Amino acid sequence: MESYLSMRNISKTFSSTGLKANDNVNLEVRKGEIHALVGENGAGKTTLMNILYGIEQPDTGTIMLSGKEIMITNPLAANKAGIGMVHQHFKLVNEFTVAQNVVLGTEPMKGAFFFDNRKAEADVAAVIEKNRFHISPEMKISEISVGQMQQVEIIKMLYRKAELLILDEPTSVLTEQEIQRLFKTLRELIKQGKTIIIITHKLAEVKDISDRITVMRKGRVISVKDTADVDESEISRMMVGKSVVFDFDKGVDGCRDAVMSLENVTIKKKRQGRPILDGISFEASTCEIIGITGVAGNGLTELEDVIAGLERISSGRVYHNDQDITNITPKALRDRGLAYVPTDRLKRGSSLETSVKENLILTTHHDFMNSGGVFDEVKINEHSKRLISEYLIDGHADVPIGTLSGGNIQKVILARELEMVKDFVLFSEPTWGLDIASSEFIYEKMLEMRARGVAVILISSNIDEILALADTVIVMYRGRIVAKKASGPELTREVIGEYMLGLKDDYSTDDDCSSDNDHSKNDFKGEDN
Amino acid sequence: MSNGEFSIPLIHNSISIMTPFLLAAIGGLMTELGGMLNIALEGLILIGAFFSVIFAAATGSLFLGILLGILMTIFISWIFGAITLYLKANVFITGLATNLLAGGLTAVLSFHLFGTKGVLMFNDLPSLPSLNVPALHGIPVLGDILFGHNILVYMSWLIVVVAWIVIYRTPFGFRLRGTGSNPNAMSALGLKPQNYQMIGILISGFTCGLAGAVLTLNLGAYVPNISSGRGWIALVVIYLGGKTPFGILGAAFVFGLAESLSNYAQGFMDIPADFILAFPYIITVAAMVIMSVIQTRRED
Amino acid sequence: MKVNRSDWFVTASALLITLGAAFAVMLVMIFIMSETPGETIYYFFAGPLTNKYYLGNMFNSAIPLILTGLGIAFAFRSSMFNLGGEGQVYAGGLAATAVALPLPAAGAFFGITISLLAAVVTGAVIAGLSGFFKMKWRTDELISSFLISNALIYIVDNFITGPLDDPENNLLVTSKIAEQYWFKKIFLPSNLDISIFFIAIIAVLAFYYLFKTHQGYEMRMCGLNPEFARYGGINVGKYMILPMLWSGAFHGLAGAVAVFGTSHACYKGFSGGMGWNGIAVALIARNNPIAVIPAALFFAYLEAGAKSAMINADVTIEIASIVQSVVFFLITAQAIYNFVKFRRKAV
Repeated sequence: MESYLSMRNISKTFSSTGLKANDNVNLEVRKGEIHALVGENGAGKTTLMNILYGIEQPDTGTIMLSGKEIMITNPLAANKAGIGMVHQHFKLVNEFTVAQNVVLGTEPMKGAFFFDNRKAEADVAAVIEKNRFHISPEMKISEISVGQMQQVEIIKMLYRKAELLILDEPTSVLTEQEIQRLFKTLRELIKQGKTIIIITHKLAEVKDISDRITVMRKGRVISVKDTADVDESEISRMMVGKSVVFDFDKGVDGCRDAVMSLENVTIKKKRQGRPILDGISFEASTCEIIGITGVAGNGLTELEDVIAGLERISSGRVYHNDQDITNITPKALRDRGLAYVPTDRLKRGSSLETSVKENLILTTHHDFMNSGGVFDEVKINEHSKRLISEYLIDGHADVPIGTLSGGNIQKVILARELEMVKDFVLFSEPTWGLDIASSEFIYEKMLEMRARGVAVILISSNIDEILALADTVIVMYRGRIVAKKASGPELTREVIGEYMLGLKDDYSTDDDCSSDNDHSKNDFKGEDN
Repeated sequence: MSNGEFSIPLIHNSISIMTPFLLAAIGGLMTELGGMLNIALEGLILIGAFFSVIFAAATGSLFLGILLGILMTIFISWIFGAITLYLKANVFITGLATNLLAGGLTAVLSFHLFGTKGVLMFNDLPSLPSLNVPALHGIPVLGDILFGHNILVYMSWLIVVVAWIVIYRTPFGFRLRGTGSNPNAMSALGLKPQNYQMIGILISGFTCGLAGAVLTLNLGAYVPNISSGRGWIALVVIYLGGKTPFGILGAAFVFGLAESLSNYAQGFMDIPADFILAFPYIITVAAMVIMSVIQTRRED
Repeated sequence: MKVNRSDWFVTASALLITLGAAFAVMLVMIFIMSETPGETIYYFFAGPLTNKYYLGNMFNSAIPLILTGLGIAFAFRSSMFNLGGEGQVYAGGLAATAVALPLPAAGAFFGITISLLAAVVTGAVIAGLSGFFKMKWRTDELISSFLISNALIYIVDNFITGPLDDPENNLLVTSKIAEQYWFKKIFLPSNLDISIFFIAIIAVLAFYYLFKTHQGYEMRMCGLNPEFARYGGINVGKYMILPMLWSGAFHGLAGAVAVFGTSHACYKGFSGGMGWNGIAVALIARNNPIAVIPAALFFAYLEAGAKSAMINADVTIEIASIVQSVVFFLITAQAIYNFVKFRRKAV
């Protein structure tokens, strides 16, 4: 069958990180199909789609649409070519109505000067009607649900006559019913002759909605299949590839005293159909690595912020050594000895314009004063010299940390945080984007902490590292814990994968989703007052 | 004191005092909606004040004076906008630069052209025509309050209405608000936020030019630093007016009223003149702080 | 204002481009305005250096600028804007004078100490108020500091022309402070006084405070990356107030030093421009307390040059403000830095 879109030999390397996000990628999409682009975090799916939509420019490669080569230099050019994209993070103006957001930039006019709001609403209503969306054009974005916001983004593209629609992780923020509604819409669009590319890593959905699948891993295309020919476990295997085998001798096992515990931690935000975190309870104990995993968008980031004291919780309690520390300040948590290696190394974990030396003393700078109350330079220099060699950091103490490579920045953060460990440490995505050698170094340090009796919390979407390191594995799905299991031979990638993707749930209390949803709707109204 | 003899001239006076605040705030609203705090208003008013009166004197025409004064102010606002948006400079520092430039340029030119940096009197300048509609003037109270102002006062009201139309009824206003609210929504659709911000800045040049003209042409003279903080107070007026043209009209009136009240108070109470001068700043700070207290409470 | 501080070459080149543009604008202005441009330019550039009186006065006028520059640098280092410098300097000068006037019999050391302290506290409280509003209610400190300062200018005016006015003098000025409080002149016949040494020491101490103490460290971290600071357990709210207190304290001291060293009384409007110049000084010094000293001297030179050109030739002193505005316009322009970086890569 003739390809409608073909992207050939696309390569893209980001100069800032040196990361090869796309390596000679080929993508063929047929007219009238739903094509799933799947892969783990960092596989290069979003980069490829950003290239197609003109947000990024490829280093090499060509794009053909309906047999003609096209140049897509910006989103406007993509729109003109009939390509529309719905981003994972919505780009909407909250104060505007649905119709106004849709027509922004291509407004219908009344006479030569005036914006015709009525016509905008009518035009948008027509698009809504035709595609059976459940939304009213005159509602303000600030009054609608997250699921409806996504509809607005789709309507925006349909209004611009998009023939090829790209959806980036469209289901990550939606409730089950909203997902079903979205899929109904997508099928409707296909009937009208549109073509859809959907980026996702939720396999059940891939099976449910797509016609064909392109699997990406580490910037390359691994496989292209008809959906009917593969089952979920096969897709899963293609996505993650061969397991990287980490085999560690974990050493001591025993002393399990609770250090930090969460009880029913819940976060609810206005306008969010369901809580971001929903009744999270677990204990992090001495001599234990507790591994928390899940797919992006299922509450891992928020859990990280809660443990670090950077996000307030709506209900529930947090304890450290049996003392209630619910919603205490990050400073108070640090004073209690929390060591924390954050996901966002560049914005949170380091101050890029500041020297390595000064980055190293963020949490301990009070210990470097001499009797006169000024910094003891000699001590600071020795400190940084020691850490640089101990943690194998390739960089000078006096250069801004921003000039170092990603792996070395992470080692600086690691050095600083582990230097202050008392009895608990939080690692979040500690090896994201790092090479094997740096990753192994970090794993060794983590096990060293465990051997010292420290309670280690590891949040990671990388199943391999969770399996290799964690004594207890917690899987999150849609803000809830769906599995809590001790590690062992029967706990495999496949088992975890099923939980991660929502195929299994040990703690499911209510099979009837609708009553759950009504409940949250009422809560939402309550908060609005 | 509640009789009409006192309150009618008071309100009449408030209306003429509020005009420059109103104009500057409407201009500032345009940049504010585009997502930029425009601290250059003060300098732009000064530029408008100086150039409109000297051009009026040079050409002997009020109209030409106002027109050329406004053009000059727009030109300065263009410099401010271009450096901020296209050379990517810090908007606060370039705003200060504009204020400094205004102070320096007016003094240097005043000295160079007139040999003094003091007050410039233009005695033979025609005074601004007033709008008097004898038939309507007869309406009790309202007639006395609303009529008999100079035409620029009415023009400022017209500008409020036009501003409302531009902001809420034209594609430009629509995109400007989009820019301020979420520039990513704009760029995702291939629209350039800077272009809309630039136009907002040029509009603030226009209204500040007019605000300056109101000050000097009313007086028939140029007094150094005649803007005296009005551009800064206008920034707060924008907030107090809820960032809408008619809200700003109301807020500007409150400021006009406060200032004319303090002028009256000076007449029969023994308040030092300096305190009267400090008064607008004090109530502005107070209003600003109270606003932010309310806002923080609401958010929590 | 994000610049990679390590790349001094880029920073220096961009600064040169900025200053070059400023002087180019000035030369153009002089050629347009002046009947005798050559002479004017001579007086502008050479005037301040031609005799002891001008030279000393130039150094003398740098003294308050160093202090206001330090004040702004402290605020900028923590990403706070203090636009109230003018009023803080003025109120500081008045506070010091008001304390010193009733104390004619006190010892010089005691009298000077408590007068300067009064100035420092006055300035700190005024600026700290804006920091407090910001911390507590997120009130924009940029506007609030400006407005508070402007209100204060009139109130200080009132004290100078009212309660503290010298009845024996027709000028708008307070009585003179007792002679034992006057700072010692060190470069007669100019006004340059001994405080310049103390101020230079203060600049060095300020450098140490910012770069060698834990408070300075925390302050800088809050300015560079507040999320990083909060993550590391630094109380970010505290560093909305503390830098403003410091900033105001430096400004208040600047006012006091100008009175005790030069005028010995508060003249109406004596501090005009010192606050704004402080911002320019801090920007050119890239908020480095040591670099504030040469930057202040540069601005003092600029003002002295304009003054000399005004006295000896046919232009007015405000020509300096225009040069200054060009510096303000361009000093934060990212495009200039990128241009220099690009050129450098190309070579």
